[in-house]
Amino acid sequence: MSLPPDYSNEISSLSREILTHQPQDVLQFCANFFLRRLESQRAEFLLSHHHSSPKGRGMAETTFPGGNPFGTSPSHTATYMQRLDEEDENDHVASPTAASFFPNSAMDRAQSHPANEDTFGNFAGFGGFGDAFNTRPRPSGAPEPQPFPNNYNLNRRTSVSAESLNPASSDHSDWTPPDHPKSPEQQARLREAVASNFLFSHLDDEQSAQVLGALQEKPIPTKGIKVIQQGDVGDYFYVVEKGSFDIYVNQSGKLEAGPDGQGSRVGSVGPGGSFGELALMYNAPRAATVVSAEASNLWALDRVTFRRILMDSAFQRRRMYEGFLEEVPLLASLTPYERSKIADALETKKFPPGTHIIKEGDVGESFYILESGVAEVYKRGNEKPVHRYGKGDYFGELALLNDAPRAASVVSTTEVKVATLGKNGFQRLLGPVEGIMRRNDPSKLQDADGVDPFTRSS
Amino acid sequence: MAAAVHKLLHPHRSRDQEKEEENERQKSATEHARDEEKHTLAQWGEKKAPLEPGQIDKHPDQKMVGHSSSVLRKDDFELIKTLGTGTFARVWLVRVKNATDGDENQVFALKILRKTDVIRLKQVEHVRNERNVLAAIAGHPFITTMVASFQDHDSLYMLLDYCPGGEVFSYLRRARRFNEPTSQFYAAEIVLILEFLHQREGVAYRDLKPENILIDAEGHLKLVDFGFAKKVENRETYTLCGTPEYLAPEVIRNTGHGTAVDWWAFGILVYEFLVGQPPFWDQNPMKIYEQIVEGRVRFPSAMSAEARDLISGLCTVDTSKRLGNISGGASTVKSHAWFKDIDWDALYHRKVQGPIVPHLRGPADTRNFDEYEPESIHREAYTKDMQEKYEDSFKDF
Repeated sequence: MSLPPDYSNEISSLSREILTHQPQDVLQFCANFFLRRLESQRAEFLLSHHHSSPKGRGMAETTFPGGNPFGTSPSHTATYMQRLDEEDENDHVASPTAASFFPNSAMDRAQSHPANEDTFGNFAGFGGFGDAFNTRPRPSGAPEPQPFPNNYNLNRRTSVSAESLNPASSDHSDWTPPDHPKSPEQQARLREAVASNFLFSHLDDEQSAQVLGALQEKPIPTKGIKVIQQGDVGDYFYVVEKGSFDIYVNQSGKLEAGPDGQGSRVGSVGPGGSFGELALMYNAPRAATVVSAEASNLWALDRVTFRRILMDSAFQRRRMYEGFLEEVPLLASLTPYERSKIADALETKKFPPGTHIIKEGDVGESFYILESGVAEVYKRGNEKPVHRYGKGDYFGELALLNDAPRAASVVSTTEVKVATLGKNGFQRLLGPVEGIMRRNDPSKLQDADGVDPFTRSS
Repeated sequence: MAAAVHKLLHPHRSRDQEKEEENERQKSATEHARDEEKHTLAQWGEKKAPLEPGQIDKHPDQKMVGHSSSVLRKDDFELIKTLGTGTFARVWLVRVKNATDGDENQVFALKILRKTDVIRLKQVEHVRNERNVLAAIAGHPFITTMVASFQDHDSLYMLLDYCPGGEVFSYLRRARRFNEPTSQFYAAEIVLILEFLHQREGVAYRDLKPENILIDAEGHLKLVDFGFAKKVENRETYTLCGTPEYLAPEVIRNTGHGTAVDWWAFGILVYEFLVGQPPFWDQNPMKIYEQIVEGRVRFPSAMSAEARDLISGLCTVDTSKRLGNISGGASTVKSHAWFKDIDWDALYHRKVQGPIVPHLRGPADTRNFDEYEPESIHREAYTKDMQEKYEDSFKDF
């Protein structure tokens, strides 16, 4: 007769524990072990039944509304990914950040309500979930609570990835983005069309010009042409210059054969509109089918071009900053890793001609690297500038070290672009500058203290 | 009978025969090596002792785990049940076949990747990264241990330790959310993982989420699925990867990213532990990304001030201000008030009892894993062209 497997398993984990802990009092240790096991099993049990035992102590808190909404199988994929956005959607989809914990009474109330109307984003497999999280006025009438979204997808989330992008490899090093010619009017129209899109609104002037240049014209000669098909892989983002397009969504998640295969029409998009933007992130299935409603003109941008433009400019900017930083004697002892961290933290600022970037006598807080343009250095008592700065020159770095007043003023002669970092930012990333400089050569600290950066060349 | 079928299927008999004879000659030596290797595996499985950070750093050839095996084959394992599936991989619970006495109860998780799928989905680089990172870090107490890797004509195999507790994801969804002590315990073990990966190995994990965190037989965590892990060291990297709700703003904006993305995702994870869902969500993924780059996290009123402060620090758009990425690295996270009750050294040595110790009927219990659809019968052949082009990339597997 053999011992039950449960028993053997418990005993072997107890033995492991005893080996690890080497207890003095073996009996007490064993008793504690089994008590813990019991507690943990009970917690697990209560956990899976917590909706019926609101006072259950376990790893879960029980003040949260909701029955057991988890009747779904893992074969349900993340279908929430697969739809196109509509203007009025936000009325229904509450911000998930607006979570608020309801008291139990609210939970009961919410559960007693019939299913909510927002069926579009709800999934049959979720059972009572939509009800439980539907938001109703709080009984207390308190001004809060912001609604908990009633349709958060509770399934396993699929990982995503885009094409491998590697700026250092030789095949990309001489890559330049395609530049498709456009009239100034077209340029302006396209610029405006993408201005509100967050993927474009962060771009600097140069990136923006490159991205607009890379947009490629796609004339759509007639009505009824499917530009994108729901369920297909997406590589291009489109901006509508003229004409109009109808948007169809099939609830099955993809275009099907037959006359109604494209599903129902959910909206349309006209001049200045755009669609397919998720394709600029990674290769996700199209969320809708888009069909031309008349002869139209589109401009298209593919993901690899878009992401490469962003990558190349970020890469070049980082390497440029690292190069500049290498030239700063005060920072000579930084490791390449630290330099790259500082380069990442540098903030770009632009100044029009005639701006006092730093003022003699002020308390210094930031240091600056001149990225483009020309600036001049003035010292009190001299009418003429004592020095001129060009690309790659730096100033104000002693501010990282001490609170001494600025030894001179720096005034932009042309429009200038600087990269700047404050003392706080520097210390936050790398700790005190003094410590970094002492690392290699304690005498450097002394030297640096005596150096007036504005008299270097004079 | 098998030989007859073999003959029918393979008209180039003479060449096959030659190969077979050659195989015969090598067989006895290989067989011996295989049996020895299987025994070693089983012995490791018996103890599963975690290594100290200093031991983990050893070359895979000099520790018991993490090497590339030239003798192991798929046939050495009996496939018991699917534990999980991905777009190009399937993980099985397996038992060592024809094991020597006493070893037959040892089970493992075997991750099988088809070379054709890996190539079709452009994941060759990621799969190489995954194997190499797992080999380098095998032995960490809270990271899945790759015991060995091997390959055959059309597939790649990673033999991993089996975590019978299942995914933290399942417990979290069942509980809806974790209370603070539970969240703190799991979060703290994750901090130790990230500290080790970032500061000792220079590795960015890049796919932190409850789905990728398993609970082992003793109730401790194991991080699994290193498909996006990459040794970045001091250079930034640009390939977009991760899970939509967990992507860091710098990944979305493609300005170059590094290990700091894991601290962002860690903030999202703690939020999801405490709230039951991540802070940024919308049905339209583009709207999620818009919220992420804006980076305004809103907290439920019931969340403690310490938890809010921790999450705000981690989910900071500016990487030069992000907790975990600033001077001091992981130690700034470890010393945060939210973790004040954690004994970090005891935690690393698995001396702290976890809030859930799975109830199991023996080491091969799969009750904590969901059922998955059977594998599709359709399989694309690994063609000669593919082989010529890609086989070299797999040579160290």
